[in-house]
Amino acid sequence: MIKDLLRVSHASKHFGGNVAVHDVSFAVDEKEIVGLIGPNGAGKTTLFNCMTGFFPVTLGEVIFDTKKINDLRPDEVCRLGMARTWQRVKPLGSLSVLENVMVGAFSVTNKPRQAEVIAMEELTKVGLTDYASKSAGSLPIGLKKKLELARVLATHPKLLLLDEICGGLNHTETDTILDIIRTIRQRGATIVFIEHDMKAVTSICDRIVVLNSGEKLAEGTPEEITNNPDVIAAYLGGGHHA
Amino acid sequence: MKQIALVTILAAAAIALPLIIGENPYMTGILISVLMMAALSSAWNILGGYAGQYSFGHAAYFGAGAYTTLILLTNYSTLNPLICMAAGIIVASLIALITGTIVFRLRGHYFGLASIAVAEIVRLSVLNFEFTGGAQGILLSDISLWGLDLNSKNPFYYGMLLVLAVTLGITAYLRTSKTGYYLMAIREDQDAASSLGINLSFYKNKSLVISAALTSVLGSLYGLYIRFIDTSAVLDLRLSIEIILTAIIGGVGTLWGPVVGALLLVPLAEMLRSNLLGDALVKAGLVSDTSAFGIFLKENLAHAHVLVYGIITVLCILYLPKGVLGLFRRTK
Repeated sequence: MIKDLLRVSHASKHFGGNVAVHDVSFAVDEKEIVGLIGPNGAGKTTLFNCMTGFFPVTLGEVIFDTKKINDLRPDEVCRLGMARTWQRVKPLGSLSVLENVMVGAFSVTNKPRQAEVIAMEELTKVGLTDYASKSAGSLPIGLKKKLELARVLATHPKLLLLDEICGGLNHTETDTILDIIRTIRQRGATIVFIEHDMKAVTSICDRIVVLNSGEKLAEGTPEEITNNPDVIAAYLGGGHHA
Repeated sequence: MKQIALVTILAAAAIALPLIIGENPYMTGILISVLMMAALSSAWNILGGYAGQYSFGHAAYFGAGAYTTLILLTNYSTLNPLICMAAGIIVASLIALITGTIVFRLRGHYFGLASIAVAEIVRLSVLNFEFTGGAQGILLSDISLWGLDLNSKNPFYYGMLLVLAVTLGITAYLRTSKTGYYLMAIREDQDAASSLGINLSFYKNKSLVISAALTSVLGSLYGLYIRFIDTSAVLDLRLSIEIILTAIIGGVGTLWGPVVGALLLVPLAEMLRSNLLGDALVKAGLVSDTSAFGIFLKENLAHAHVLVYGIITVLCILYLPKGVLGLFRRTK
């Protein structure tokens, strides 16, 4: 049975008089990959922050797994099963790569041994096992992005929110990350995906939601979006890459 | 294994030390100070070093322990000192919980600032209430526990050693437990920590209460040992600062850093206080005791140990940002 795992209805976020997100509604079904795209300042990350409890929506509702989560703290949202990565990676710098992922794993177990086992599994998924004992702060950006992914996977989320997980990476690195995401998806994960790289988005998403100046501009399959004249005017401009 | 062997040797040496130096109250006194500062700094380190929440007011918890214990004993002389100690833990934990619950909602430097404010509120209250002895302080005439000779310093040496061992044991356990990982995650990045399911204020409060409870036990022990306390002895901001500097110089966020810091700083302070250092400079012929500088040193060096701590701290931050222990640690 397919059901909404996440439903954002009429969400608005105001910072003083500044409207960052205005009346945005969309839903994510189980096992779906939804892309959230839009030009800089469109409100994508703000929407993520609202969904994950970093700041509450001013108006509207966020429903996750049939539960209203408007006023929950980030840690409560994570424990319910919605976990995010950060556009600007946030490694726990002085801890080792393995320890970083163990911190994530502690939300599903209290035992350090078991957390280590889970962490190693996730490191294997993203191909970071060779770096397990390295300090997280010393990794290059490409590997830090993989670490973000492994760490958030270790919380065993039902819904994964990826904020520009490919941002700042070269083509090879992007392809590796996309492969990892495809593997995760085969295991039945649900993903919302903020991305600038159109190729990445269209190649992996079932559905795309386009934001522009804080409002929802369009929603549809990758083909519909790439052929939508409004979207092309607002976001894609001349070419197919941003 | 190597570490266990090392710890065993250290523990045996620490246990044997009073027997080796014999009946020497002066030396035992210094050793007690070393153990106490090592334990205080280790207790602070659980909160400051692991959770990254710098408290500048740990004297409040030390004073809470000392005052609770001595007030109870002067009023009910038949009470077991250990029960008074437990009461001190409760008082200190309450102060900690109230502070934490209010302040840990905020991030950044608010906790540091609030910790100073709370310590000052406690100090001024104690100074102005009557049941606390006000500015006169509290004098404890006689105590007894299990028939120990409490006029000797040795029981207090072992008491401090025991609390230090417990504090280090808790720290070592935390380092490999879920709570410890959560505290370090909070220290490294609060946003990342909370997005990974960590309840920030709960874990900050938890580490604050553990730290405050241990600190209050040390305060109680100190009060029983000295038997006279006033606000300048147990509630002074200077004490809070010394606790932090000991950890910073030894190595913040490491198990043994505070112990190393105390081993270095307490004897140094003692040498300054007793003017041993000033005399040594004169004897070595580096400074003439009739010169203006020599006279200045003799008159002022004894009062300057906090200043010297400060200078050492600045040098440490510049050249040894990970403390003395950082020197011996391989970089990954």
